[in-house]
Amino acid sequence: MSDFRAGRLDAVRAKIAAIEAGGRADAGCLPFGDPRIDGCLPGGGLPLGRWHEITGPGMEVETAAAPGAFTALLAAPLALRGEAVWVLRRDDLSAPGLVGLGFPPGRLIQVCVRDEAEALSVMEDALATVGVAAVIGEVEAVDLTAGRRLQLACEKRGATGFLIRRRPFGGQARREAGGSASATRWSVTSAPSELPAGEFGLGAPRFEVGLERSRGGRTGRWLFEASGAYELEAPNLEGKHGTHPLRLVAELADRQLAPALPLHRTAA
Amino acid sequence: MRRLSAVSFEAAALGLHAGQKATDALALVPELATAEAEPEADAAALTELVDWCVRFSPAVAADAPDGLFLDVTGVAHLWGGEAAMLADFRTRLAANGLPFRCAIADTPGAAWALVRFGEDGAIAPPGGQGPLLAPLPPAALRLETQTWAQIERLGLRRVGQIMELPRAPFGRRFGQAALTRLDQALGREKEALTFRRPPTPWFARLAFAEPISAPEDMARVTADVAAKLCARLESESHGARRFELCFHRLDGKAMLLSIGLSLPGRDPVRIAKLFAPRLETVDPGFGIEVVTMMAQAVEATSGRQVRLDSLRDAALEDGLAPLVDRLTNRLGPERVWRSVPVESHVPELAAARARPLGAPAAEARAWDARTPRPLRLFRRPEPVEAVIALTPDDPPTQFRWRGQVHRVHRAEGPERIGEEWWKGDIGEASTTHIRDYYRVEDADGGRFWLFRAGLYEDPKIPPKWWLHGLFG
Repeated sequence: MSDFRAGRLDAVRAKIAAIEAGGRADAGCLPFGDPRIDGCLPGGGLPLGRWHEITGPGMEVETAAAPGAFTALLAAPLALRGEAVWVLRRDDLSAPGLVGLGFPPGRLIQVCVRDEAEALSVMEDALATVGVAAVIGEVEAVDLTAGRRLQLACEKRGATGFLIRRRPFGGQARREAGGSASATRWSVTSAPSELPAGEFGLGAPRFEVGLERSRGGRTGRWLFEASGAYELEAPNLEGKHGTHPLRLVAELADRQLAPALPLHRTAA
Repeated sequence: MRRLSAVSFEAAALGLHAGQKATDALALVPELATAEAEPEADAAALTELVDWCVRFSPAVAADAPDGLFLDVTGVAHLWGGEAAMLADFRTRLAANGLPFRCAIADTPGAAWALVRFGEDGAIAPPGGQGPLLAPLPPAALRLETQTWAQIERLGLRRVGQIMELPRAPFGRRFGQAALTRLDQALGREKEALTFRRPPTPWFARLAFAEPISAPEDMARVTADVAAKLCARLESESHGARRFELCFHRLDGKAMLLSIGLSLPGRDPVRIAKLFAPRLETVDPGFGIEVVTMMAQAVEATSGRQVRLDSLRDAALEDGLAPLVDRLTNRLGPERVWRSVPVESHVPELAAARARPLGAPAAEARAWDARTPRPLRLFRRPEPVEAVIALTPDDPPTQFRWRGQVHRVHRAEGPERIGEEWWKGDIGEASTTHIRDYYRVEDADGGRFWLFRAGLYEDPKIPPKWWLHGLFG
């Protein structure tokens, strides 16, 4: 019976995947290289050709420091495949800081926009452009229509979007938009770093990351470490191609869902 | 001392002249009405007039404060001769209500002299400016006031008399500059004018039988004039980085729009598309009679810019370059950039903004990944309060930023960064400009980049602490 059931389930999953794909070519995914997180993501890694939402609690909504650093680490492998565009409303992104995280600023075009609507339209324009692999935008809120437009732009060329939720300094908190068309939503804060015994100073940056929403996958909470940051000339790029700049340190206990069966999906 | 800077015709008839003391003028004419001189507004108005004159010739040079030169070489025949051109020029200027004088001569110097001291509307025949200049006073040679006053004091009241003098003694007495001015007026020496826009052969013009004003028409003529200019660029394998579109209105105003390309191009459809969103800012007034387009920063470009159906090497030309063009023309060139390294250890100077496409100007040493720099660097460091730190060199153990107290658990530092004293005067260098940077982590894991400005010197005035960036 279990064989029969598993077969039926696989068939249904493949069908749903085909419907979700809507006839477009699968842009692939970017695995973290650790089954504890890759198993929570559809296809076994961060889906490409989609857009992802990154938020931070408390002050991070205004400073967007930890979400920004986490996004730079997520997008660093993509910057090798093509150009990256970072859309800002406040031009406080520092290129020397990106270098320390392993993101190549030589591949990055920075765009400073005047308002929210402009930020979304620039993101959409950049996502639909040949030769752009990743677009990172800092936007306060995104409604369903804007999200859907971003998704359509992503599907045109298979570019991946990262949307950092950031409120202008001193701005009023806005009401949460209802739903969202993003593929995943992450909540990122910095976590205290750990040092080997007998060493002084700061350890490699650590992030406490919650995957709050994952289309076709499961949610979870993890502790990540950017182990190569501020260490090598060009950490985690060309030389060790294939490894992700983020290393999973621990799975955090406060999961919202009980661990389900290991999810294995066949590529449709 | 207040002086008259310009007088009206009526005032001139009463014997007033520019340069006169205001009190003297008021004594002569008690009912004189004066207004403050506005040199900036005058200069702006002159620039506007220069722009307008482009309809007659592409080479127009402003001659501050109150004149302009129009190089009409090779364009007068379009009006049926110099006399007809001058007549058209006069009618249009008069319609604008501007008082003016004009003259045509071989050299800028001669035209200047004829306009100011000769007969209004004079046209010097080619090579024949000598006899026309001869009866004019020496001031007509564009000399310094002292020089021409000196010449007149010696009894030389006419340019003709100067022309008859032996050159060498004249040059010794009044300086080489006076001799140069004389030669320039007579065409013996060349004179370079600073044209408002450098004369360019990359220029297209469309004139309409009936003035246009509908937005659709303006879009269509933009495409037409772009196609005309781009066809010429195409035939000579050139491309341009900058296009200027100018609408000349019936009432004499010229509306200028310009766009820039990140890579030299000549695709008329793309260029017209970049102009399209700006067209609505053009007020057609009573109608537009002439439209001109000029290509600037023209470079030779190889290869046919025809859409090829290969996706391989088309990425830059079809994808990124148009994207950058769209963004820069929409947001402004200062809002789209790529960061390039600058060799400076002052954090806020370590990155410069460069054009997003094209080769970097100078190869500076890249940033070192091993010296940690924050991801978010504040443009202005923010003050932090209630800092508890041990003197002299310990990192803070606690600080307050934006109303929140952070307890420092881990810290690194100090990294001492001084001012770039070699760039300024050595006497101005002091220890107050030294910053000691600390990278600290608070109990929650937030990573901050703090610095102390200056050293502990006077115990009564402790140095201030600032937050310069966040690592995240």
